[in-house]
Amino acid sequence: MNVVIETKGLKKTYGKKSSAFHALKGIDLKIYEGESVAIVGKSGSGKSTLMHLLALLDTPTSGKVYIDGKNTTDMSNKQLNSLRSDRFGFVFQQFFMNPNDTVYENVMLPLKIAKTKYSERRKKVENALKIVDLSSKAKNKATDLSGGQKQRVCIARAIVNNPEIIFADEPTGNLDSATGDKITDLLFDLNHNHGVTLVLVTHDEDLAKLCNRIIRIADGKIIDDYAVKKSEQTSAEKRHEKVAAEVKAKNEEKKK
Amino acid sequence: MNLLDIIKSANHNLFRSKTRTFLTILAIFIGSFTIILNSAINAGVNSYIDSQVENIGGDDYIEIAPTALYDQLSSMMSSDSEVKEYKPDKNSGETAYITNEDLAKIREIDGIKKITPYHNVTAEYIESNLNDKKFSVLFRIFADSSLHADMLTGTQPSSDDNKPEIMLNPSYVEALGFSSAEDAVGKTVKFGIKQTAKCYITPDNCIATTEATITGVQANGVLSTGNMLGINQALSDDIYDLMTVDTPDNIKDRTMFATGTIDPDKIDNIRSELKKLGYTVTTIKDEVGLIRTFFDVILVVFNIFGVIALLAAAIGIINTLFMSVQERTREIGLEKALGMSKGKIFLSFSIEAILLGFWGSVVGIIFSMIIGYIGNTIAHNSFLADFPTFNLVKFDPLTMLTIVLVIMLIAFLAGTLPARKASKKNPIDALRYE
Ligand SMILES: Nc1ncnc2c1ncn2[C@@H]1O[C@H](COP(=O)(O)OP(=O)(O)OP(=O)(O)O)[C@@H](O)[C@H]1O
Ligand SMILES: [Mg+2]
Repeated sequence: MNVVIETKGLKKTYGKKSSAFHALKGIDLKIYEGESVAIVGKSGSGKSTLMHLLALLDTPTSGKVYIDGKNTTDMSNKQLNSLRSDRFGFVFQQFFMNPNDTVYENVMLPLKIAKTKYSERRKKVENALKIVDLSSKAKNKATDLSGGQKQRVCIARAIVNNPEIIFADEPTGNLDSATGDKITDLLFDLNHNHGVTLVLVTHDEDLAKLCNRIIRIADGKIIDDYAVKKSEQTSAEKRHEKVAAEVKAKNEEKKK
Repeated sequence: MNLLDIIKSANHNLFRSKTRTFLTILAIFIGSFTIILNSAINAGVNSYIDSQVENIGGDDYIEIAPTALYDQLSSMMSSDSEVKEYKPDKNSGETAYITNEDLAKIREIDGIKKITPYHNVTAEYIESNLNDKKFSVLFRIFADSSLHADMLTGTQPSSDDNKPEIMLNPSYVEALGFSSAEDAVGKTVKFGIKQTAKCYITPDNCIATTEATITGVQANGVLSTGNMLGINQALSDDIYDLMTVDTPDNIKDRTMFATGTIDPDKIDNIRSELKKLGYTVTTIKDEVGLIRTFFDVILVVFNIFGVIALLAAAIGIINTLFMSVQERTREIGLEKALGMSKGKIFLSFSIEAILLGFWGSVVGIIFSMIIGYIGNTIAHNSFLADFPTFNLVKFDPLTMLTIVLVIMLIAFLAGTLPARKASKKNPIDALRYE
C-alpha cells in the first residue's frame, strides 16, 4: 500500500521562552492510502494540532511532513494551496460556515476555490447535498439549520470536490447518537466504497473502533498505534449498523 | 477562485452590512460629487470662454498702452500713502500718451504688421430715419478683420473698407424702428457727434452728424452685451475727425491706446521690445486669461474641499474594511484552509475597496448630472436666457471616466492596508478566532 502522509520528528511549540508550550513532542507516523485512522486522546493532548499539521494547515516548529513521499517544506504556497483544494477535504471541530450564505453557497465554496468549471459546480453541489440528505435545504440560510444539519452541510462541503483524504476533527462531537451515527455512516461509506482515506480526530472510543487503526496520543506523544481487531470492529459496526438501519427506516417512512 | 467569483463575492460581502457600506459610499459620494460637479462647471465655463474667444478671434490682435498708465492706475488704487519726490524726467502728473512718433517707432518692431491709434470715440446719440427717437450708444472698434463677431445676420463691419460701417445689437434693431434684423442690414444710421473744441465757444450749436451703413446684427454673448456697437476704422476716423475739429494737432494725434495686428509667433519678442519702449501689451488671451483665472481660483477652492472629502472617505474605506476583516476572520481562515491563496484574499478585499470607490463615484456622477441638468435649465430660464448655446455645466465623458478611475485608485490604495492584513492571516489562528 502507498504511504500518502508521512511525518518525521514532528514538533509543535506554541509561545516562546518561559511561556513556551510543547503541544507535540516528536511524532513519527505513516498514513496509508485507503486507511481509516482514528487519532484519540484526552482533551488538550494535541490531536487537533497534529491533524492541522497533517493537513498542511499549519507549519511544524520542527520536523517534516511528506505527502506522496514529497517533502512539503520544499513546496511553494501555490502547490500547498492546490494540494488542499484539490485533494483534501476538511471537517473542522467547529462548523465554520458562512452564516449569511445559503447551504448551497456554503457547499459550493471549495469548488470556487478549486476553480471548478461553472458547468460542473451545480451537479457536484447537488450530489454532495443528496449524499448528506439535505437537498431540500439547499436554499436555506446556513444559520437556520439545526446542529446536526449544520454538521452534515460541513460533510457535504468536505466531500463536494471528491477529495482523496478527508480530515475530520470530532465530526460527531456535538451531535446526538442517531445523527452522529448517520455522519459516521457517510464517512465510512466514502472510505469503503470510494477509497477515500479518513483521518478522524475523536474521543469517542466506539467511533475509533470503526477505523482500521487507532493512534493514541497523550501529552504530545504517540503512546499507542495499533490495528483494530476485526472482532472489535464488527461489534462496533454491528451496533452502528443497527442504528443506521433504524435511521434509514425512519427516513423511508418520512418519504412515504 | 477565478476573477468573476472574486468580484461576485466581493460585491456580495460589500452589501452584507448595508448601513456601514452605505455610509462609506456616502462619504465617497460627497467627495466625488464635489469634484465631478466642479469639473463639469469648469468645462462648461471654459468651453464657453473658448467659443467666445473664437468669436472675437485674434491670435494676432494686440492692444498697446503706456506702462506708465498702468502705474498711475495702480498708484491711484493702492493704499500706499508714501509721498513721492518730484523728478522732472519721471512720474509726471500728466497722463501718459502714445504720440505719432511713438507709433512710428513701434511699427519698426519685428512682427508688428499694423498699428492704429485707438481713439476713444463717442457719439451723443444714434438715430435712424424711421422714427424720431435718439438713443445713447457706445462703440467698440473692429479695427482688424481677424476679430470675429458672432453674427445673427449680415456681416461685421469691414476693416478693409473705407466706407463707414456699423453692426447693431438685437436690442437696437427694434428701438431704431427696423422690422427685423434682416431689415436693418444695408440701411443707414446717423450719429450726433460733439465737436469738443467748438462746444467751449458755442455750447448750443456744436453737434455735427455723420452716417454709417449697417452691415449686420450681432448675436448676444457675454463679450458683446449692452449698448456697445461694433464699428469699423473708417467710421471711427470719421467720428474722431468731427470730435477734434479745431483741436491742435499735437493733442489730436495722441492716444492712450493703440491696437494692431502682429505675427502671433513673435509675440514674446514684441512684448519684450515694447516693454523696453515703455509699453504694455495685452492680447485677447491675456484678457480671457483674467476671466479664466478668476473661475479657476474658485474651482480650485472647491476642488480642495472635494479632495479633503475624498481623503476623509479614504479613511472611511480603511475603517470599514478593517471592521470587515475583523468580522470575517473565520471566513478568511476557512477560505485559506480550503486552499485559497494569499493573493486572492488580498484581491478580494481590494476589489471590495474598489467597488466602494466605484459606487461612490457613480452615484456622484448621477447626482451631479441631475444637479447639472437642473442648474442648466434654471440658468437658461433666467440669467442665461440670452445665451442658448452656453451650458453652465458640461459633462465630458472622458473626464468623468478619469475621475471615476482616480477615485477607484484612491479606494484601492486605501484598501491595501486592510487587504494586506486579511491576506496575512494564518488559517489556524483565524479558525481558532472566536
Ligand atoms: N495557538 C495556540 N497557542 C497556545 N497554545 C495552544 C494553541 N493551540 C493549541 N494550544 C495548546 O496546545 C494543546 C493541544 O491543543 P489541541 O487543540 O491540539 O488539543 P486537542 O487534543 O485537539 O483537544 P480537544 O480534544 O479539546 O480538541 C492544548 O493544551 C492547547 O492549549
Ligand atoms: Mg481538538
